[in-house]
Amino acid sequence: MANKIVIDPVTRIEGHLRIEVEVENGVVKDAWSTGTMARGFEAMLLGRQPMDAIYVTERSCGVCTLVHGMASSRTLDMAYGCKVPEAGILLRNLMLAALHMGDHIQIFYNLNAPDYIDITAVAGYKGNDPKLLAIKDKIVSLVKANDTSPFTPTYKNDQYTLTDPEIVTTLVSHYLQAIEARAIAQKCVAIFGGKSPHQAGIIQGGVTYHPNLEDLIKYKESILKVIDFVENVYWKDILFLGAGPLLPVGQAGLGGGYNNYLSGPEFQADESGKDFLWKGGVVTDGNLGAVQPLDGQKIAESVAHSWYDYSNNQPLLAPYEGQTKFNLTKEGAYSFVKAPRYDGKPYEVGPLAWAMTTQPKEFMDIVTKLNIKPGFLARHAARSYQAVDVARNVLKWVDQLAGLMGKGPLIVNDDKPTPNTGKGAGFVEAPRGFLSHWAIIEGGKLKNYQQVVPTTWNGSPRDANNVRGQFEQSLIGIPVPDPENPVNVVRNIRSFDPCLACAIHIIHPESNRILKFVVE
Amino acid sequence: MLSSLTKNKVSRRDFMKACAAMAVYLGLSESFAPKIADAVENASKKAPVVWIEAQSCSGDTEAFLNSSEPTPAQILLDTISLKYQDTVMFGTGYVADKALDDAIKAGGYVLVVEGSIPTADPLFCTVGTESATNPARKPVIDTLKEAYKNAAVVIALGSCATWGGVVQDCPSKGRGVAEVLGKDKVINLPLCPCNPDHLAGTIVYYLTFKKAPPLDIHQRPLMFFGSIIHDNCPRRAHFERGEFVTDYGDPKQADYCLYLKGCKGPFTFSDCPSRGFNENVSWCIKASAPCAGCSQPEFYAGFSPLYVKSNDVNLPGIGGVPSETVGTVAAAVTALGVAAHLVGRSVFGKKKEGDK
Repeated sequence: MANKIVIDPVTRIEGHLRIEVEVENGVVKDAWSTGTMARGFEAMLLGRQPMDAIYVTERSCGVCTLVHGMASSRTLDMAYGCKVPEAGILLRNLMLAALHMGDHIQIFYNLNAPDYIDITAVAGYKGNDPKLLAIKDKIVSLVKANDTSPFTPTYKNDQYTLTDPEIVTTLVSHYLQAIEARAIAQKCVAIFGGKSPHQAGIIQGGVTYHPNLEDLIKYKESILKVIDFVENVYWKDILFLGAGPLLPVGQAGLGGGYNNYLSGPEFQADESGKDFLWKGGVVTDGNLGAVQPLDGQKIAESVAHSWYDYSNNQPLLAPYEGQTKFNLTKEGAYSFVKAPRYDGKPYEVGPLAWAMTTQPKEFMDIVTKLNIKPGFLARHAARSYQAVDVARNVLKWVDQLAGLMGKGPLIVNDDKPTPNTGKGAGFVEAPRGFLSHWAIIEGGKLKNYQQVVPTTWNGSPRDANNVRGQFEQSLIGIPVPDPENPVNVVRNIRSFDPCLACAIHIIHPESNRILKFVVE
Repeated sequence: MLSSLTKNKVSRRDFMKACAAMAVYLGLSESFAPKIADAVENASKKAPVVWIEAQSCSGDTEAFLNSSEPTPAQILLDTISLKYQDTVMFGTGYVADKALDDAIKAGGYVLVVEGSIPTADPLFCTVGTESATNPARKPVIDTLKEAYKNAAVVIALGSCATWGGVVQDCPSKGRGVAEVLGKDKVINLPLCPCNPDHLAGTIVYYLTFKKAPPLDIHQRPLMFFGSIIHDNCPRRAHFERGEFVTDYGDPKQADYCLYLKGCKGPFTFSDCPSRGFNENVSWCIKASAPCAGCSQPEFYAGFSPLYVKSNDVNLPGIGGVPSETVGTVAAAVTALGVAAHLVGRSVFGKKKEGDK
């Protein structure tokens, strides 16, 4: 008999997410993903000065912060006709690189690793590493004081829970180091962006910040610590866990989904705007031999099961034409998240999609050798390898920027006036996956503004054809032997690095200013 | 944080030094150090904290994780007992729900609210289920009302929780804690995101004195929000000389005043110029980004457009000069800058805004 399980809140993610699964014979038979919070930034943006969008959309998310400011700036780069000079490109790269590494560290250690460890195992540590002994003492003293929040309570252990004291104590130690490492990464963003989260320095045409050598040295000193953590702790832990105690999870391919993957171009290499470190691409039905170039024209969103209406019940709308007419009581709707589709189909975005569309040899060799299939472990492996790839490239950009410094004034911004009419789309390959912003300017003001974000792709509800979103599809077949312990469900969901606040955007239903722009 | 120092067997002398530093940090005289030391050492249990995210982006949680002195690990392991925090806690689903229920029943906690509270319709933000037997979505406003009742003190963290922040004008009509839940117990710590020093400092102050620090009329601690950004801005001399950034591409203007780029520094109370962010490596104005006024109740919509000179204040003389040339009209600048400053003082010279 089918058993319905509701998980709300799904913690250790950004935003508010509710997952419902139907379990039959110990495995998930059907699933529904619900974004349960909406604010509605676009209500304010319409009719406003376009640059406000850079500031406001940055507040979409405080975890993978800055990517919205960057997507918005790229959108306005296009709409304003700005050409970003080399220093501006490099400064954007340096900020995004720091964010990528810091975010991935946090996603694995602080948000996901707790799903795989029994923290009480620390008490059994018998080694003599003074750092690990200090952690053991601390955890034991918390247990004695009967005050172990926020590490307990949790779901019960299962066959994938790590209970070896040595491994768990090491991971707890890395959990604490990870908090520090990601704070250093955020500091790297702040050096050029003023602060982090919510940097303030990226605008159309480049950045507001004027580089100086002292700051660049500060950045380099700090980013070296982050690189060290990525290469010598994070990547090594993933290799150890993936090839060792968690190998069965990877080989079982739990949490695979549709095998449709999409990623965007990122880390611009020069002023041409055509050369990137990552080219991006599209893989359909797991056909890794046929990577197609990404075509923004093929993106469109459905609201069939979301709390919005489209004029004339259109099945899909492209972002430039996007409407968001809010309907809180709509029958059949169950999420504030829209359902983006590419060429009409659902696609996964994020590090696994990045790996499947760029197929870096070192990574592909490892997963092939270990026979790891797409799923939640593969997602963590791809995430850590992506961090390694960034770590291997970031110092090159530091040197490039340093090289520019001796050669006359550094112009980092065109500072073009706001155009009367314009149109722009800005793409970012964010730590969570492919992000795009779309804007139409008329009369010097925003006439339409849309965000299609990673978690809208991954966390979407069903579309007009009743086709499930990625979270939902990837949950089918996940083992839940004990209905009170659906830990595999959250392991899978968290491996996507969900960001629900990003995923949800609403346009004011009652504003005349907006309604007159709706194409009926 | 201080207890972590003692537990790590730091000498008594170093511990007292840290307490003295914290006293100064909180705007107190060093003679308060023994009182802070007593409060931290003699606390029988760690302070329970319940942290609820309403319409948030988790930016304040992230900022908290950027704390440097004390570090987040020291705060989590030694200073507070974080009963509920949905971005950090290990528990999930019904396990998390129960942890929250238990903490609320026990009472006496510091309630931290992050994010705005939707007032247009409670369904704009739901977290958890109504009960173990009723899986209907539970509006966060209901949970917050329950949590507010049993809280010892409430910290509205970040601009969304203080006055709605960027969400004020949204369809969900996000509002702050004091407006929706009540004013009595509320300490407002605005900024977008919050400055983690402000949170740590407020908690230590509360543990030491068992009451809120002195607050301004907007319920912000005076020790953090007692002065105007413009008054302490390192670019202030350029304002006085009438040297304004008009073109980000001109390196000569790199550290000029950002007023013509929409800077709200003259309207804004905060210690950003001295405290900075991320271990004080920078802050918005240092990176040449105009202040958006994120510690003020007007933020954001009341300050829009953000990157355009504020219309409600005219700098004398500038009206007749095209703004693109202001920064480079050398002959006029000095007189113009001084005049602007005088008018600026009379319009914004509300140094006393903070005082009761």
